[in-house]
Amino acid sequence: MSLAKDLSNGIYRENPVFKLALGMCPFLAVTTSVENALGMGAAATFVLVCSNFLVSLFRNLIPSKVRIPCYIVIIATFVTLVDMVMNAYLPDLHKSLGIFIPLIVVNCIILGRAEGFANRNPVLSSLADGIGMGAGFTLAMVILASFRELLGNGTWLNMSVLGQSYSSQPLLIAILSPGAFILLAFILGFFNVLENRKGGGR
Amino acid sequence: MAQTRRFELAISPHVGSPQTTRKIMFDVVIALLPALAAATWFFGPGALLLVALSTATAVGVEYICLKFMKRPVSFAFDGSAVVTGILLAYNVPPGVPWWLPVLGSAFAIAVGKQAFGGLGHNIVNPALLGRAFLMASFPILMTAGWAAPESWRTGEDCGWDTNAIVQEELAILPGADAISGATPLNVLKQTFDLDESSRTALAEGETEVAAELEARAVSTRSALSSSGTYANLFLGRRGGCIGETSVLLLLIGAVYLFARGVLEPRLPLSYLGAVAVFAWIFGGSGWFDGDPLFHVLAGGVVLGGFFMVSDMVTTPVTPKGRIIFGIGAGLITMIIRRWGGYPEGCSYSILLMNLVTPLIDRFTKPKVFGEVKSNG
Repeated sequence: MSLAKDLSNGIYRENPVFKLALGMCPFLAVTTSVENALGMGAAATFVLVCSNFLVSLFRNLIPSKVRIPCYIVIIATFVTLVDMVMNAYLPDLHKSLGIFIPLIVVNCIILGRAEGFANRNPVLSSLADGIGMGAGFTLAMVILASFRELLGNGTWLNMSVLGQSYSSQPLLIAILSPGAFILLAFILGFFNVLENRKGGGR
Repeated sequence: MAQTRRFELAISPHVGSPQTTRKIMFDVVIALLPALAAATWFFGPGALLLVALSTATAVGVEYICLKFMKRPVSFAFDGSAVVTGILLAYNVPPGVPWWLPVLGSAFAIAVGKQAFGGLGHNIVNPALLGRAFLMASFPILMTAGWAAPESWRTGEDCGWDTNAIVQEELAILPGADAISGATPLNVLKQTFDLDESSRTALAEGETEVAAELEARAVSTRSALSSSGTYANLFLGRRGGCIGETSVLLLLIGAVYLFARGVLEPRLPLSYLGAVAVFAWIFGGSGWFDGDPLFHVLAGGVVLGGFFMVSDMVTTPVTPKGRIIFGIGAGLITMIIRRWGGYPEGCSYSILLMNLVTPLIDRFTKPKVFGEVKSNG
């Protein structure tokens, strides 16, 4: 596979959220605003790219029996980095993402790509895959967060869009957790319809 | 295929029933009409308009959904959407803006019903799902739109702040003969809060304040359990959701449904019975001193019991399962009323029991004749 294909794979064709249904927990939990979604996406992408790089680099050194603990150590290192950097320079974002920053350690997209891709591909492809998957994850989160913030608060990236009269009486459920599930169902349904139109499904 | 066949070959079921969806739904609509009359009488033509808007939206959205999904649009006119629309409007306070039931009704049909595959495939009652959606989205509107009964005719202002009205009510209640404004269950919930503050005051050593608060709670509760309150609740002279006011007229509708064989008695009776028993056990301030009659008459359990617990799609099919469903819903209703965050728990109890309906059905599956219990 070419590098460009590795890069674009995660964005639509194998989008981690919409196509592989991975990483649902942070996806549903932190998409209450576009700002949170971007922050979470950036943090996850950073960890994903770095862990893909290291796992791929050491793929011939790590004995396969202990590979999972090794992945966890690598991922946890970068998550700790992100956690500390964000706490130092973006305290507000760090506060609103809360527990979901440390929880990136067990994000199944990152572990899944380490096991399923970086473990058996050269370093450059793994880097490209990490960037693509991270971008796909961020894109998916921004899509859901846009709907939720717009419907539930009348704003987009903290800018008022629907006006004061809507913001005073918004569709609160979109910000609450049931709204995340309902909107996710509709977005997944939309992608399924798209897929069926394109080639009769896979 | 146009020619007539001499022998009809068909798969089961071979025994037909004169009941069709359209007939059943038409009967339910007729049974719901007396309560609509009560709503119009107590809350004015505005309530009638809300019901009409909600119903029209339900049918319209059902039509659009069916068209969109390329299914036969005649399903939109089988009456089930009409029932959903009416029930949704019955579950909102009379003072809400017109777009609220429209939105709820559209959600109920589009997400609660058609997204799951239409009538017969929905896992929870669409009207109650619509209400839960509105409660989550607009908590202020859904809990502040109470109107005093008949105030639209006497011309009193009916846009109050809920908290203020309850305070005022507690002050005047012992001498009053009619409950107006906030719902009776709101007032009851307030007495539990008074109990709580009284206990806190006692713990802090302020015995006088505690005694005064306790006396207010007790006198309010005794006013709620008076025969005057019972009569008002039975006739419908009280604050509440549009459709739940008049127990008398709801009962007339229920009796009609019984007579037509549409309503199966196990579900509503086990539900109302469970509400009464659990109200006696823990519906009051202590144990075994609750007022079952008040709890059955107040709030939406009569509306819920006869028209929503008895929904054919989302409740168990086995006789034993129906009784379990009714008792479970009654228990959850009373737990929410006593300890929950909302004064009324009827709708959430039914939604929760809807979700376990498949399990109840599996658990209570009757033994097939001749079946032998396996030794494994």
